[in-house]
Amino acid sequence: MVNLGDQHNEETLTIIENFIPKIKHCLHNTDYQEREDLEQEIKLKIIEKLATVRFQDAPSFWDFFS
Amino acid sequence: MEKDNQKIEDFFYRNNEQVNNPIIKSFLSDSQNLYLVQKAILYPTDINRKLVDESFQSHYKNVRKTKYVSNLIYFFSLDFDKKRRRLRKRSLLILDKGLSEKDGKTAIERIEDASNETEPDNIVGEGLLDNIEDEQLLKSLQKLTVKQLQILEMIYVKELSIKEIAQTLQTTPQNISNLHRKALNKLNNTLRKKGGMTYGEFRRST
Repeated sequence: MVNLGDQHNEETLTIIENFIPKIKHCLHNTDYQEREDLEQEIKLKIIEKLATVRFQDAPSFWDFFS
Repeated sequence: MEKDNQKIEDFFYRNNEQVNNPIIKSFLSDSQNLYLVQKAILYPTDINRKLVDESFQSHYKNVRKTKYVSNLIYFFSLDFDKKRRRLRKRSLLILDKGLSEKDGKTAIERIEDASNETEPDNIVGEGLLDNIEDEQLLKSLQKLTVKQLQILEMIYVKELSIKEIAQTLQTTPQNISNLHRKALNKLNNTLRKKGGMTYGEFRRST
């Protein structure tokens, strides 16, 4: 995996922490035996995706206004 | 000051539609961002406009990331469940589920009980006597009958229960228990005669 430095890691960690309630909620989509696995897989996936996906560049703020 | 406020209001009024755009709205709801925008409207220098843009870009990216992760979690959990279900269906672990044939047998009945197949003859020689280091104890053990040795080995080496041993040797648990006690007594006597270990020491050494 690409190492993007401490700042990136910290950001990823914050995102995961903020999403924990959502993750816990989505664990109900599977059987209770599988939930621990799923939780781990989701977190792994988030880390993987945040490191690899290139997010579209934002438009300029002033493009919106005349 | 009055004029400034008028100018800002004018700007937002003119761009009413854009201000209601969710991304702009959420951006402006942060007071720090709003302040930057107001400053840029009043003093539209490059630096002021650039500050707004930088703040907006990071806000925009954060929103996208949040949305992305939120969707990711939801759809990943559904996919995960689907995948696990498919795997479980393919390789059933439940042994007492009925087999497809009509004889009504379950899978677990078809698996032969391995514990019944162990011949008693195989037991002696491969475990207990090989594991004794004390010579006196070994000699005493060799004086026991084959059956007693078998029982001692099954109890202390294989750690079977009395019931299981009775099943293997096709006799009653009481009989096994008796033979066990006799064997220990016999060992005790032989060892004492030789001035060796006591009964307690024997138990600990096996």
